[in-house]
Order: sequence, then C-alpha cells, then structure tokens
Amino acid sequence: MKILEKSSLQAWKKVKKLGPDKTIALLKKKGLTGRGGAGFSTGLKWELTRKTKADERFIICNADEGEPGTFKDKLLLEEAPENIIEGILIAAYCIKAKQAYIYLRGEYISLKQKLESTISNLVRNSKIKIDIIQGAGAYICGDETAIISSIENKRGYPHFKPPYPPQKGLYGKPTVINNVETLANVPLALTKKDWSDNLRLFSISGDVSKPGVYELKINSKLGQIAKLAKAKSPKAVYFGAAGGLIPYKPNLIINSENICKEEASLGSCSLIFVSKSRNILDLALNISQFFKHESCGKCTPCREGNVHVLKLLEKIKTNQASKQDIELLEKLSKTIRDTALCGLGQSCTNHVLTALNQFNKEFKTK
Amino acid sequence: MIKLKINGEEVKAKEGEFIIDVAKKSSINIPHLCYNERLERIGACRLCVVEVKGMEKLQASCCTQVRDGMDINTHSPKVLDARRLNIQLLLANHDLNCTICKENLMCKVQKYASELMIEDSIFEDLERNEPPDNSSVSIRRDNNKCILCEQCVRICNDVQTVYAIGMAHRGVGTRITPNFNHNMKESSCINCGQCVVACPTGALTEKSDVQGVIDALNSDKFLIAQTAPSIRATLGELFGLPAGTPVTEKMVTALKQIGFDKVFDTDLGADITIIEEATEFIKRLKENKNLPLITTCCPAWIKFGEQFYYNELNKNMSTCRSPQAILASLVKTYYAKKINKDPKDIILVDIMPCTAKKYEILRPEFNGEADFVLTTVELAKLLKELNVDFLKLEDSEFDNPLGASSGAGDIFGRTGGVMEAALRTAADWLTKKDLKAIDYHSIRGMDEIKEAEIKIGKDKIKICVVHTMGAARKLLDQIKEGKSPYHFIEIMACYGGCIGGGGQPPSHNKEILKKRINALIKVDEKKKLRKSHKNPAATKLYKEYLGKPGSEKAHKLLHTKYSKKGYV
Repeated sequence: MKILEKSSLQAWKKVKKLGPDKTIALLKKKGLTGRGGAGFSTGLKWELTRKTKADERFIICNADEGEPGTFKDKLLLEEAPENIIEGILIAAYCIKAKQAYIYLRGEYISLKQKLESTISNLVRNSKIKIDIIQGAGAYICGDETAIISSIENKRGYPHFKPPYPPQKGLYGKPTVINNVETLANVPLALTKKDWSDNLRLFSISGDVSKPGVYELKINSKLGQIAKLAKAKSPKAVYFGAAGGLIPYKPNLIINSENICKEEASLGSCSLIFVSKSRNILDLALNISQFFKHESCGKCTPCREGNVHVLKLLEKIKTNQASKQDIELLEKLSKTIRDTALCGLGQSCTNHVLTALNQFNKEFKTK
Repeated sequence: MIKLKINGEEVKAKEGEFIIDVAKKSSINIPHLCYNERLERIGACRLCVVEVKGMEKLQASCCTQVRDGMDINTHSPKVLDARRLNIQLLLANHDLNCTICKENLMCKVQKYASELMIEDSIFEDLERNEPPDNSSVSIRRDNNKCILCEQCVRICNDVQTVYAIGMAHRGVGTRITPNFNHNMKESSCINCGQCVVACPTGALTEKSDVQGVIDALNSDKFLIAQTAPSIRATLGELFGLPAGTPVTEKMVTALKQIGFDKVFDTDLGADITIIEEATEFIKRLKENKNLPLITTCCPAWIKFGEQFYYNELNKNMSTCRSPQAILASLVKTYYAKKINKDPKDIILVDIMPCTAKKYEILRPEFNGEADFVLTTVELAKLLKELNVDFLKLEDSEFDNPLGASSGAGDIFGRTGGVMEAALRTAADWLTKKDLKAIDYHSIRGMDEIKEAEIKIGKDKIKICVVHTMGAARKLLDQIKEGKSPYHFIEIMACYGGCIGGGGQPPSHNKEILKKRINALIKVDEKKKLRKSHKNPAATKLYKEYLGKPGSEKAHKLLHTKYSKKGYV
C-alpha cells in the first residue's frame, strides 16, 4: 500500500524549509481532502485556523473510529504511526499550535503503547506536545464537536455549528480536527510526486470471503470491488451504518456524487456487502438498535425518535404493522434527518429511508 | 445591519443575531423549550426549527445566526410537520396526567401541544415510573415530566455554579439527577429555585405548603401572615396584570379575606435588618476588622457560603438575620407578649418570593418561629382555590404594630436594594446628618456585578452588589485570596434579586424583571419615609423592647450564626 510508505521525517524537514504559508499552499495544490467523511479541503481548514486571531491553537487527531464496518484507521495506527505523528507535527507547525491531542477510540487501547513510543521517538526535539486521550466507548465522540466536549472533560455532547472548530474549537480556541487517514496522508502528499487524493483506504466487510482494508482509487466500479473481496451474491451495500445503503449495481462508479444520487453517503469508504440470503428488514432492525443505543440523548428527534423507529420496525417484523405505521416510519425518519442537531442524528435514518424506497417489498403490512 | 426576509417580509438585523431573536422583534414567537435568553444556547429541543431557502435541512432558529439575504419561513408545512412530530415524540415520553399536574396551565409542553393542535398520540407511550424526589424541603423533582431541555442543569451549573444536578446516562435513558444518583436533600442544592423558574414543565416545582396553610386557616389558632418586599410587585402577574403592577393593598385584603387575623409587612423586618447591619458595618469599619461585610438576607447564598466558603468567609458574613427571620422572631416574642398569647397558639405564614425560605425557617437557629413559607406562585394558587376575585378587591393597609415600613424596606426585593438601604442609614449615622441624597444610582440596574466608591463624610467606602452565585463566586474567591478591595458586599442568589426568586411567576426575561424592579423603585420613591432608621415603628420597637441597635437582646433575637454544611 502506498499509504504505508515511510516518510521518515522527509516531509517535516521540507516543511521547515518551506514555512507554514507555502506548506499550506502546496497542500491545497495537491488537493488533500478530509477522510473523515465530509471531504473538506485540509489545506483550507488549516489556513482558516491559522488566520483566526488567537493566543492558542490546537490540533486534534480524530482516532475515534467508531462507524460500524470501518477499520482503516486501525491499520494506519498499527502500521504507519510515524506518518500520522509527522502529519500532526506539520499541522501543528502550520497553524502555530503547541499542543496536539490524539483522541483514541476506547476499544483501541492496545494501540496506545506503540503510539506513545512513536510520539516520544519523533517529538524529541520539538516544542509541540502530543497527548493521547482515550475515548470511553461512545459513538457520538467521533463527531468533532463531541470530541471537543470530551477532551474538555465534559459530557460527550455534540454542539451546533457554526462556529466551526477552526473559528472556535477546543477551550474556545481555533482548532484543527483531522482524521487519522488525512494526517497520515499529509507527509506523503507533500513529498511524493505520484501522490493522488483519489487513492483511498476502503474498509470492506459483510458477506465477502476476503474482508479487509483495500487501497483503491475513487471511481472504481462497485463490481470490481465486489470481485476483489469475493462478495457472495451481493444484493445491497451499506456504507457503514450512517451512510445508508444502495442496491448492488456492478457498474456503479464509486464516488461521493454517485452515492449521493443513490440517496446514501460514501462517508469514509466503508462498504458492507449484503448477500441475497439476507433480509434488509433484519439489518434495519440491527442498525436501529445500534443508533438507539448510541444516541447521545441531547436532541429530541434523535433521542426519542430512534426509540420509535425501532418500535415500528419491530411491529413490521412481527407482521403487526399497518400501512399507516409504514407511513409514520417514513415521516419519522425524515423528521429525524431534517431536524436532528448533529451529523449522527441527521444520518441515522438514512438506512431506513433507502430500505423503504428500494426494498419496499420486504416491509410488509399485516 | 443586514437585510433578510422572514415569511416574505423584509427585516433588518445585526450581524451575529440569531433567527429566533430577530423573529421576536418582528412579533413572531417561535416555539421553544430549551432556549432561554439567560443561558448558553444548546439547540436541543428542535421545536424552534425553521425553513431557510437553499438549505436542505431545517434549522434550529435558537442557534442559527442570520445572514444577509437569508429567506426564512417560520411556518411552512414542512416546519409545522416537523414541530408536530417532535412534540409528539416528547409527549410519548412525558407523563400526560396534565389535569393533576402542578404545572397545569403553566406548562410550556402543554401550551405548544395545544398551539400545534395535537389531538391524538401517534407514538406508543413509553413507560416512565420513576418515583418523584420529595427529599428537599424546597424543590420537588419529578423526572417523569422532564423533557431534557437542560435549562435546570445550565442554570445550576453555569449560572449558579452550584452543580447540584447534572446529566447522567445516554440516549433515551438520559436523566437529570443529583450527583451519583443521590437525592436533592443530600446534594449541594442551595434551594434558590432558579431551576424551578427555568423548568418549562412540572418536572421541577416548589415543594407545596398550600395544604398545610389551608389546615392552619381552618384551625382555632391565631393566624398571622408576613409578606416579603417583592411580592407586592409580582403577585399581580398571576392574576393577569402586566409585570410591574404593584398590588400591595389588594394583597393585604386578600389575606384578610381568606382568614388571616393580622397581616404584617416583612419590610419592617428589613428596616430592622438595616439598623442592625448598619450598626455592624460601622463597627467593623471603625475597627477595620472582618471586612468586607457581606449581607445575609438571602438564604440560598447563606447555604452556598456555608458549603463552599465556610472556613474562609464565615467571619465576613453579617450575623444579622434576614428580614423574614427578624419579623418571625418579633412576632413570636414581642408581639405574642403584647397580645397576651402563647406563641404556640400563633401560626405565622411567610409569603416569600423564594423556595430557599422554606429551608431557612427550618434552620435550628430560628427555633421554628415561622411555621410555613408560601411562595408567590403558591399564594396565587391558594387565593384561587379559596375563590378570591383578586382584581376586584378593595384596598387595605398592613396591621400595626408590625406593618409600617420605610421605602428602604421596599427596595430589599431588588438587586442592590439592601446595599442602598444600608447606605442610607450608615451615611446618616457616619455624618450625623439627615442626608438628602439617598438614591444610589450606581448600584442599580441588571449588571451582575456593580461596584462603586461612595464618599461618606471623610470615608471612602468601596461597595459591590452582585446577583447570581456564579458572579458572586468571583468576589468570594477574591476575598479568599485576600485581594478584595471592598468594604461591603451585597449578594443575592437570584437574577435581579428577590423579584426574580425561585418562587416568583416564572420568568428569566430581562424586560419583565426590570419592570418588577421599577415597580419597587416607584413604591420607594412615593414614600415620605425612605430611611430604615427613621421608621417610627422600628424606633418604637427598640425603645419598647429591643434596647439599642446591637444590644445583647438585639443580638439574641435579631442575629444568628452559621455552620459548615456538607454535600455529596
């Protein structure tokens, strides 16, 4: 994999020569975009943070990889921690931050020691301090504003935006929050001539014989990916849990725009293949249980709504649902999507809406 | 200035303003449950959503800033559908026994359900069987009615810095609870009741003593009521009068009509508090000892001090009892003797703006001198239950000998009032004159911390007036560090002082609180007698019974002591 090529501080040395402004300009020119799901320009994010007037700035590396079916950051934390730390150092240098945090998913505790020794090896002569903060298992703490609350020792609640973290982030100071994969790409984007923003890590799982992390180009065909991972008679593909699902189409070209047209969201490139032997309703039940459990409880539609999404799905499962129940399920799912506070709430019923739309035959009334 | 459209009408707004506030200026009241102008915005209830042209998702108007050219619809079909659905979700997880709820007809969930024309529940009812927390003497908590708007938590933590309650668990299991699931009594709650004022539902209410008072009224005891300074400025609101309409005389008539034998004025207690406190202040000033002196009329602040600052600041707290406790003491000693009754045959009911007074009267130092505290809200409920047609009542005066008061007593009910009253007396005494300049404008207004330097004769006195405990904490920390520049500090726990108390008609609206304050200022200004030490009723008491201000007898009856209090 190209992403695992070691930079060995070559980029850090180059950045020191270039200075922050030219580094940011180079990163923008190279076109690095965020890998957390939103796909925002990394250089622009850094520039906005750097330009916000403040006496202190922070870097947060989002390593709270909690989306179901997503495990590519785990691979990077295991195999390429040097590139991640180098990326953090470069980011800190560019935005004038003296303190960086790696917000590490609670379940990834086994990776902490290696990460710590990598930090102490690389950060020896730098004024930048990097600390690891361990998550406590809440899915919501993958949301950037909830990470901020969590690091501030507050309840892991998301916060409305704007203000965005580059304006007002950790402790009210301008903050860059980048995904692990984004930061791991920083040194490579700055030094490798053949680096391309289109090369991504895909987490492939579900009904496949060869699950795992694949390095693939955006615009690959879905059929190609299915073949690589040896998908078993696929019927649908889920993009994590929050991204929703699409019916399996081998000729579909995988990029954000196309997935968006299918009313799902590519997010951080997690593909969960579903074979024809499975019932979409069962999967909808499973995912709804997950979201009911992981809703933080702050806003009404997500906290209360997910309970009733699950109740209505259970009603369908037990053949007790009327046509009105299915209509209510759709209306409720749309209201949660349109009125919830954070990204989690706004996306947690994507899977229900697509399933109702594309697999409506599986949602039977009494 | 930027231009935008709300429901097709062009509106001007300032950059940085939020949609909900801009809409309000155009006479559009967007429904909201978690938004409170006093608190940090959180955007949790999602009832205030509006449609913004060009944006796919609905926007919460309480936490979305206006932008130039924005085109907003506050009542499109999509908006109304979403609001109806979100309130339905709340109703499915809310105790719907509205008719037997204390907040009935005052509840905002009920109001919005009605306004959004909710007829049938569309969601399966979720069972909620948490027993209410009745452990506190001031505040009742019923989580079955909680809609998790977090206003109480934000008031308690961010504004009051008391941290008695917080959020626990997550998702639909989220609950508001005192630390470690303890009850309210064991918590650090200072009983200020600001959470009760904020709570839009019946989840947080005052602990009711109405039934006890009804029983007392039907007993053969001698019934006395005393009414705190601020009640006259707020009670009318609960009978439909505009905020800031004083109803002193009707209130007295009402209490007489329902069976009180005598109605006394806590304002006289306030005058005596001032006489004692001014004496105390001048003594400390001359000895330059235990300064700054901190007023102690507010029972919520006292518990706060005893919990968090006892060791360091016990010496700074005035030993004077609150006006309530002073009048209670005089009723059960001086007055009982005067009318030749056993104090046990007298029942004293305090009408107070305050849930913390319910805690105060139970303090062992006060020997149970007051029997009940009713808040303003409870008094209105009592009068309604006893069929009083309040607005049609004739006027009547407070009873003697504990009914005459100065204007200085009246202003106790607002932030800065105790300080102003104390200065009126202290300045006269220090200069040995009858000063004409008695309006201390520099310590009026709604700023949380107001400081001034006052020249009295040769002395320059630095004073500070503070309301809300979060603001007070800053001053208390200063004293703790030995860096306080002040001689005299007034602390009130509630926003605006007692007119914004935990037992008042619920409002944190600055304009409403200002109107209540102005009502008290006017009551004071209209009086000829505006200095506590000039009140003949007070001077007569000293002459007949108490001796000199600060005397041994005065100390026994009018002063108190404090003790360290623990909490979980």
